[in-house]
Amino acid sequence: MVKYIVRRVLFLIPVLVGVAFCVFTLLYLTPGDPAKMVLGDLATESAIRDFREKEGLDKPFLVQFGNYLYKAVTQGDIGRSYVTKRPVMTEIMATFPATLKLATFAIVIAIVLGLPCGILSAIKQYSAFDTVTMILAMIGLSMPVFWLGLLLILLFSVYLRWLPSSGFDTFKAMILPSLALSAQSVSMITRMTRSSMLEVIRADYIRTARSKGQKESVVIWVHALHNALIPVVTLCGLQFGSLLAGAILTESIFAVPGVGRLMVESIKARDYPVVQGGVLFVAAAFSVVNLLVDLLYAYIDPRIKAQYR
Amino acid sequence: MKGTKGILFLGALVLALLCLTTAASAKDTLVVADQYDATTMDPIAHNDVPSSRACYSIYDTLIFLDGEGKVHPGLAEKWEFLSGTAYKFYLRKGVKFHNGEELKAEDVRYSIMRATTDLGAPITTYSQNVKDVEVVDDYTVIVHLKKEDYSFFSSLAHSWGSILNKKYTEEAGQGFGMNPVGTGPFRFVEWQKNNRYVLERFNDYWGPKVRFERLEVRAIPEPTNRTIELETGGVDIAYPIVHNDLKRVAENPDLVLYRKPQTSVTYVGFNMTKEPFTDKKVRHAIYAALDVVGIQAASYRGVGKVPNSLVPEAIKYSIDSEVPVHVQNQKEAEKLLKEAGVKGLKLQLWTNERKERVDSATIIQAQLQEVGIESEIKVLEWGAYLSGLQEKTHDMFILGWVSTVPDPNFAIAGLLESTSGSNYTFTKDAKIDEMLAEGRGVPDGDARAKIYKDLQLYINELRPMIYLHNDESIAGTRKNVKGFEPRSNEIHSFREVYFE
Repeated sequence: MVKYIVRRVLFLIPVLVGVAFCVFTLLYLTPGDPAKMVLGDLATESAIRDFREKEGLDKPFLVQFGNYLYKAVTQGDIGRSYVTKRPVMTEIMATFPATLKLATFAIVIAIVLGLPCGILSAIKQYSAFDTVTMILAMIGLSMPVFWLGLLLILLFSVYLRWLPSSGFDTFKAMILPSLALSAQSVSMITRMTRSSMLEVIRADYIRTARSKGQKESVVIWVHALHNALIPVVTLCGLQFGSLLAGAILTESIFAVPGVGRLMVESIKARDYPVVQGGVLFVAAAFSVVNLLVDLLYAYIDPRIKAQYR
Repeated sequence: MKGTKGILFLGALVLALLCLTTAASAKDTLVVADQYDATTMDPIAHNDVPSSRACYSIYDTLIFLDGEGKVHPGLAEKWEFLSGTAYKFYLRKGVKFHNGEELKAEDVRYSIMRATTDLGAPITTYSQNVKDVEVVDDYTVIVHLKKEDYSFFSSLAHSWGSILNKKYTEEAGQGFGMNPVGTGPFRFVEWQKNNRYVLERFNDYWGPKVRFERLEVRAIPEPTNRTIELETGGVDIAYPIVHNDLKRVAENPDLVLYRKPQTSVTYVGFNMTKEPFTDKKVRHAIYAALDVVGIQAASYRGVGKVPNSLVPEAIKYSIDSEVPVHVQNQKEAEKLLKEAGVKGLKLQLWTNERKERVDSATIIQAQLQEVGIESEIKVLEWGAYLSGLQEKTHDMFILGWVSTVPDPNFAIAGLLESTSGSNYTFTKDAKIDEMLAEGRGVPDGDARAKIYKDLQLYINELRPMIYLHNDESIAGTRKNVKGFEPRSNEIHSFREVYFE
C-alpha cells in the first residue's frame, strides 16, 4: 500500500511540471502586454520598458520558464503579483479558504441529497418518487449555474427576504452559493447512485441474502450499498476536485472572494504570476483530492488493497 | 419515503431558524457596493477608479476639488504661484496621521518625490514633470516643475497627490499598499481582497468629522445582484446602477437614484497612419454617414448623451453646448467619398466585448453599408484589443477615455498628443501638440479658455475620431442615506454622508 501511495505522489511531479509548462506557454502566447495592462493608460513608454525589464518579460520564453521553475523548486517561490506586489502564495491563500468552504458545503449538500435520493429511486424504481427525482436530476444537470443562482437570489433574497444575495462572511450567506454550486453534483450523484444500486440489487448475492430471510433494510443498507458506493465515491471525489477548480461563475454571481474570482481578475489584469500560481495550485489540489479518492477506493474495495500487498 | 420527509422537514427547520436570526443592521456602519475591489491602497501604484475611491477616504491631498471641479484648501491652507514652474504651499499645523505622527513638510516632499520613482509608474503622466520639492520649513514646501504646467496644479487633488507618512511608509515597504496610513477622515481596519475593505472614523481628523462609525465597501461585480442588495437593504449605497435596473431603482419608494454626467467620452477612432483614413475627406465622409444620436440612443438606452466635443461638458472650457448636434447626411458622405476618390471601401471596425460598444458597432456597420462602405466587426478581449491597437494594424475602433482630473489638458493630451501612449489614432499633429503645450503654460482664465476652445474646434475639423457617448455616474442609495452625490470623475466621497 505504501508503495502505491509513494508511486502516486511521485506521479504528481510530472503532472505539475506539465501544467506549469502549458500555462506558461498559453500565457506567453496570449495577446496583450502585461506591462501596459498593469501600468495602465497613463504610464509612459519608459515606465513600461522598465517594468518589462524588471519583471524579466523581455527575456526569451525558455529563459523565463526556466527561471520560474528554478525559483519554484529551489525556493518555493512562485512569484509576486504584478498588481499588489504580494507573494502569489499569499494571494492564493487569502482566497482559498472561501473556495474550500464553498466546495465543501456544495459537496456535503450533494452527498446528503444525492445519495438518499438515488438509493430511494433505485429501490422504488418507476414509482412517482423515482420519476420526479429523475426529472429534477435532469433539470439540475442541464440548468446553467448562473441562471439557477439568479433564480435562487430572486426567491430567497428578493421575494422571501430570508437570505443575503451576496457575500460569504456568515453561514447564512454561504447557503445560496453552495446550493447553486451543488445542483449539478446532486443530480450526478443521484443518477450514479441509482444506476449503481439498480445493478447491485439485481446481483445474485442480493437474491441469496433475501432468500436467507435477511431484513430488507439490512439487504439494502449493508449488502447492496457497500458495493454500489464504489463508483459513487469516485464520482464524489472528481466532483469535489471540479468544484474546487470550477466555481468561477458561482463566485462571480454571489461575490464570493474565492480562487476563481482571483483568477478571473488576474487574467483581466494580465497578472501572469497570479494566474500561473493559481492554475498550479488548483491542479495540485485536484491531484491531491484524486489521490485521496484512490486511497479511499482502495479502502472500500479490498481487491485493490490486495493488489499491493 | 418516511426518511425523505424527515430530511426535508429538518432542512426546512434549519433554514427557518437561520432566517429568524437576522441581525439588525447597525446604522453606524455605511455599507457600499462597488463593482470592483481596489487593486492596491498605495496611491501611486494604481490608475483605476475603485482604488482611487479607497484612497480618497484614507488620504488627503494638498488641495481638494469639489464636485464642480472648484479648488479648495486641503492639507495646504493656502498657496502661491511663484512662477509657472514653482508652487509654494503653506501646510496646516497640527494635522495627525492615523499612526499619531504629525504632518510635516518632509512628508509632503517624500510623498511627491516617491511618485516620481519606479513605484509611481502607473501615474507618470502626472508626476513626470516634477523636478524637486523644496522644504522651506516644517510647514512650507515649494514644488518645482521641469516646465510650466498649470494642469499639474489640479492634478494634485488626484489620489496620486495623497500625502503619506514618510516614517511609516518606509517601514511598511512593499506591504504598504495593503496596510495604509494617511491623514484622511477614515482609518484602515481590514481588507479581504475581492470581497470587502473596512475603514473606521478617524477621531483626530483635522477637518469635519465623519458622522458614522464604520465604512464597509463590498465588491459585487454582478450588476443585478448589486441592485438586489440595495433593494433588500444589504447595502446603503450601490454603484454603478446599470440601465436595465434604472427604472426599478427610480420607482422604488425606499431608494433614491442619482445621475450625473461623467467626465468620460466613448469614441470611434480612425487609424490616422493608414490609407485611406489619412485623408480628412474620408474621415468626414464616414462621420456624415452616421446617425450618432440614433446610435447612442439605441445602444445606451437613455443613459448619457452624444458629445459634440472631445472635452466633456463637466470639464471647464468645454465647447460641447456651443457646437450644434451632428445630423446624418448620406449624400454629403457619398460626395466626400467621391471627392477623395474612394470607391468600394472595405474596413474593419474593432471593439472590446462591452455590450453597448458591440451594439454601436453593429449599427455603424449597417449605416456605413448604406453609403457603400463594407465593414467587418472584430470583437476582442480587452488585453488582446489594446495589444492589437498598439500594433497599428486597425482601421477603425471603439474606445473610451475618462479624465479623472477635470482639466481639458487631461481630456485631450492622453488621446491626441503625439507622445501619448494611449493615442491609438496615432495622430501626429504639430498644431495639437503646440496648443496643448501652450494651454499648460497659462494659468486658468480667459487666455487659457480661448486656447482650449480653439483646440476643440480644430480637433472637430481634423476629425481623428467620432464622438459617440458621454456616460453618466449612476448610483442608488437607501432613502435614509443623506449627503451623498456621485461625482463626475466617479471618485465618490463618503465624507459628508450621514443617516437620517
